[in-house]
Amino acid sequence: MTAQTVSPQVPTTRSGPRSADVRRRLLDRRYLPTAGTVAALLLLLVVGQLRYSTDDRSFISMRLFSNLFIDNSYLLVLAIGMTFVIISGGIDLSVGGVVALVGLVVAKLLLNGVPLPVVLVVGVLVGTAVGSLIGVMVQYFRIQPFIASLAGLFLARGLANMIGTTSIGIKDPGFEKLASWKIKFGERPDIWYVNLSMIVAAVVLLAAVYLLHYTRFGRTVYGLGAGDGGQAAGLMGLRPGATKMWVYVVSGTCAGIGGILFAFYTKSGYNLSGVGMELDAIASVVIGGALLTGGVGYVLGTLAGVTLYGLILVVCNREGLEPWWNRILIGAILLGFVLLQRVLVARRR
Amino acid sequence: MMTGTVQTSGVAWLTRATRHHLFWPVVALVALWIACGLVSPGFLDVKVVDGHLFGQLVDIARNSVTFLLLALGMCLVIATGGIDLSVGAVMAIALSVALTYIDNSGNGESTTVALTAIGLALAVAAVVGAFNGFLVAGLGIQPFIATMIILVAGRGIALAFTSGQITTTHSRPFKSIGSGFVLGIPTPVVIGAAVFAVVALVVRRTALGMLLESIGINRTASHMAGVRSRNITWLVYVIAGVLAGLAGLVYGAPTMAADANNIGQLMELNAIMAVVIGGTKLDGGKFSLAGTIVGALILTTLDRAVIIFHLPSESKDLFKAIVVIAICIAGSERLREMSGLRRVPRLPGSQDKKVEVAA
Repeated sequence: MTAQTVSPQVPTTRSGPRSADVRRRLLDRRYLPTAGTVAALLLLLVVGQLRYSTDDRSFISMRLFSNLFIDNSYLLVLAIGMTFVIISGGIDLSVGGVVALVGLVVAKLLLNGVPLPVVLVVGVLVGTAVGSLIGVMVQYFRIQPFIASLAGLFLARGLANMIGTTSIGIKDPGFEKLASWKIKFGERPDIWYVNLSMIVAAVVLLAAVYLLHYTRFGRTVYGLGAGDGGQAAGLMGLRPGATKMWVYVVSGTCAGIGGILFAFYTKSGYNLSGVGMELDAIASVVIGGALLTGGVGYVLGTLAGVTLYGLILVVCNREGLEPWWNRILIGAILLGFVLLQRVLVARRR
Repeated sequence: MMTGTVQTSGVAWLTRATRHHLFWPVVALVALWIACGLVSPGFLDVKVVDGHLFGQLVDIARNSVTFLLLALGMCLVIATGGIDLSVGAVMAIALSVALTYIDNSGNGESTTVALTAIGLALAVAAVVGAFNGFLVAGLGIQPFIATMIILVAGRGIALAFTSGQITTTHSRPFKSIGSGFVLGIPTPVVIGAAVFAVVALVVRRTALGMLLESIGINRTASHMAGVRSRNITWLVYVIAGVLAGLAGLVYGAPTMAADANNIGQLMELNAIMAVVIGGTKLDGGKFSLAGTIVGALILTTLDRAVIIFHLPSESKDLFKAIVVIAICIAGSERLREMSGLRRVPRLPGSQDKKVEVAA
């Protein structure tokens, strides 16, 4: 969908109502930030291709993308949930804490011999529960999303600390099987994989695209972000009140799923995992073209944001940069995108 | 407005008191102190040893200074309708700059070196604050996202200063700003009190406080009314930056170790929490400096209470979460409606007009 919206027909040189229409679409502020993200992605890929390709191995390969999503599928799921909240004009700071809590709950339950399917469902529901709590605080008690989700963060981290402060390895054979399950594609040296986390992330992605862009619920989420507290959406016969709560449930559930994927990735539960992960998720969503004021953004933009985020780390790694440069570079790229968005919004007015 | 007759004046007074923005925070703080005092009888004692004040409450005051410095800056930023997520990272940057300078000077015992280090660190913190201010006031970027840039990049910058190491060094004069005493009072407390006095004087005795609030209520309107909203907003972020830098120095001075990865971690959230617990709403336009002190004291007391109640130290965050949720819900409109303490709306349907502002 991103590709469709950012590159419609190339504008013709003849001026006329059609080309003006196309140009207006191209300059639509809703699409341009995401177009910028895609452009940055392409730029990084080209630079990578020029710098890191060898005679027998190309940098741009299925292998690269497979590794990117093996490393970032949990972040993608978190960011997808965050997209709903941010488009509704809210924020969810709790997701990193939820990832840690879910990881520990899963590890502890498996250690106590609870059957795997039950553990996985409970893990996701832990996220749903934290999300619901934040949603109730925001919607019913009218506590600002920032503070409500901050309380959610401390609650999740606090509970995780109570469960354990050491890393608990997950040795359940069923869990290990799921975590290491993957399908192999391609021939050497271009072997690439699809693992379970990637499939889960893809399913969440498709479900989110449907939910946000093709349902009444999704329209209400955009309506909430319009800046009037959902009044216009309410007048249109949508139900902004309940929706405001449900976006946090969606985000919490995504954080629950993300927590399980992170447990797959690390094969352990640890109370300090996911520190600052909420910021990675928020940054990805913003880089993907969503406006923090709400009302603007889309799920596939978030996919582009997470991919760019992961690619930056790959490039830093390949360049052999000291680890602190990762953070500075991501900050700089964030700055670039914020400035881009600002320019676009200014031009629109 | 309520006009109490003689019979109901007691009730009216109580109603008015519970409506005061400081009521619930102060109740929470006093309740915490009483609970601590019951569990640990010596809790409320303050002793003088070698001419220095000692005691649990003194420790709480000393430890609350980091929160207080951060929260004071944050409070002013929030008053303008903004938010500063960068303060934790600024703490790390300031401490890294100061300790790296002292380490490189090779003469930590010199007071001049220590003072230069402090000046340098605060200058860098001011630059970071000015950068935030430029993004927010100059370019009109949303404060949350503008200050998130330093939140993301700041620790990287601090690590670049210390070359990725935990810089440790020695400097008695520098160390004293964190662990020394002035006239028997811990130096951090003196610093915190002085900063609070200056901020309170400037904000409440000049028009600045009113201007901040007017910007927070409606930036465009206050600009049209002749308020230099851009300069003031800029100034507020610089102040928040400098105070965060100072907080970093006070926090890190006792150990003299610049651990850029961990110092100030989650501090931006703690600072915001202190401000909000103190009764300042995140929407901007109204703020309470006194409430901010209470908020900082509550957070520090919570940290201490965990030890006094013999709770596992791991339960600290859980404890904080519960208190924050309780205070927020206690102060929420919904609960007042339910308990009947809420004022009857003057106009029918006026309560529906509430427009919520997202974080």
